[in-house]
Amino acid sequence: MTRSRAAVVTALAAILIACSAAIGSAWSAPFGAPHPATAMPVSSLTGWIFAEQAAFYRSLSRFILAAKEDRTAMWELFAISFIYGVFHAVGPGHGKAVISSYLVANEETWRRGVVLSFVSAAIQAVVAIIIVAIAAALLGATAKAIGLTVRLVEITSYALVILIGLRLLYVKGRGFLAACRKLSWHAAPELALASAPAANSSSATTFRLSEGRPGAVAMRGWQCQVGGCTAHAHGFQCDHDHEHHESAWCHAHGPEPAELAGAGGWRRGLAAVVAVGLRPCSGAIVVLIFALAQDLFWTGVGATLIMGLGTAATVAAIATLAVSARGLASRIARTQAGLGLLAMLAIEVGAAALIVAFGTLLLAGYMASEQLWMFTR
Amino acid sequence: MIKRTCCCCVILLLLLSIDRARAHPHVWVTFNSEVLYAADGTVTGIRHAWTFDDMFSAYALQGISHARKGQFTREELAPLAQINVDSLKEYDYFTYARADGKKLKFTEPVDYWLEYKKPALVLHFTLPLKAPTAAKAMQIEVYDPSIFVDFEFAKQNPVSLSGAPPQCLATYDLPHQPTPAEQARLSQLDAVPLDPSSTYGEIFANKILVKCP
Repeated sequence: MTRSRAAVVTALAAILIACSAAIGSAWSAPFGAPHPATAMPVSSLTGWIFAEQAAFYRSLSRFILAAKEDRTAMWELFAISFIYGVFHAVGPGHGKAVISSYLVANEETWRRGVVLSFVSAAIQAVVAIIIVAIAAALLGATAKAIGLTVRLVEITSYALVILIGLRLLYVKGRGFLAACRKLSWHAAPELALASAPAANSSSATTFRLSEGRPGAVAMRGWQCQVGGCTAHAHGFQCDHDHEHHESAWCHAHGPEPAELAGAGGWRRGLAAVVAVGLRPCSGAIVVLIFALAQDLFWTGVGATLIMGLGTAATVAAIATLAVSARGLASRIARTQAGLGLLAMLAIEVGAAALIVAFGTLLLAGYMASEQLWMFTR
Repeated sequence: MIKRTCCCCVILLLLLSIDRARAHPHVWVTFNSEVLYAADGTVTGIRHAWTFDDMFSAYALQGISHARKGQFTREELAPLAQINVDSLKEYDYFTYARADGKKLKFTEPVDYWLEYKKPALVLHFTLPLKAPTAAKAMQIEVYDPSIFVDFEFAKQNPVSLSGAPPQCLATYDLPHQPTPAEQARLSQLDAVPLDPSSTYGEIFANKILVKCP
């Protein structure tokens, strides 16, 4: 018992060290490239995390067995499950890359990023529980049949991720191409004249606004400019009264933050997290089946849900990072006038392309990792 | 501000770059191996007993019908044992042998069965050599080149000789603990997959050395 408690404390300390080390090495990095001297500890640290993760995974069975004898051991099982989830999410297939890319491409807020991360992790845990409850507990299916079910669900999940990425790529790509065309139609000096003074005159208000939705502001600004060009042929200047608007990036030709956060926005976000969360974690499936074999299915369910909570914490942290990186980038973009905004659109297109790439990789990786069920097929 | 953005990006890249990583291994096996000798002093094969980790055991046993709760007979486990040895063929039974420096070949396993020692599953099987060998020095390595399965010598009597001439001696070498760099490489096996022909896992091989001077 004391050993396990020590393990919990060590793990928590490790997470703190891991975070500070990663941040520390990144901060000292000139031009974004990690310094060779600081890069090494980080890679050995990830190695250490993986070693620990494997150790936690292996200790789960011991704690499940202990929970059978001693009800208080259950709390230790839950603590270990949470830490395993946190560590494990640094690993594969928990869709943090997909979710992060989605947030960047869709200029989501960090709050929504956090919520989506938690929803995705919850779906993932629930899918694992449902599969084991129906296939194993009710139908008494073999490992082979369960493996097959998981594979089908995985393929569906990856295909959906690709589809969502393609749709996003289409929407963002079209916007980007349109913006490019507009840019090339107008001479560069005109562009600079139109936007540079405006940006200076209202930088203070721009910053205040950007706290809420930096991405959206930049986007709206760009859409406004583009819209202004097409609708009124006034070049890259908006022809409305600037006094009534918060920033040089002018007003709503694009959707308001409130609109984006509306029902439609949530539906889009949910589609993405359902696609990502559909793929159950094979580790959770094995843990659940082990618990079921010990007549401790509900303990297994609890452990799985708490594991999901740990996973969500990691994914949410990474999603928040992604959103703030985008926010900072868009602030810089706003000081660069038209081209900066074009760069933001390019980032969005790139993020959408990344989702497609991740989906394809996952599908391909899945093909490569068929041996997961090797002893039972 | 540019610096801060760069920093954010670096942290993101660091975290996302290991996204595809999978924490190898997935299955843990502790094993006992017995080197078999014929009456004429030649080595004829290897008898393995592999004990799977309890979670994988529970997973493999899921849905296997059995008459008594919590117990599985050898007969009830026979179909699963068949599946096991059939699928192991593709992986050369994770057993690689050399005699006086020359690679040895095995034929299909014989005498295979599964035993349930609550809560673990033990796979017994014998790998006969294609041609018995009278080599003076023999090296047998047990490892998974892709490190999907972790092999570890059993604590008790991991290696033994059966019917060997009296001067023969078996020793074994424990694989080294992965260095931090190796551990990092292990963690990224799926992100940067091993070539199918790669034998990366060899550096973590469990080595059995048999000498008959």
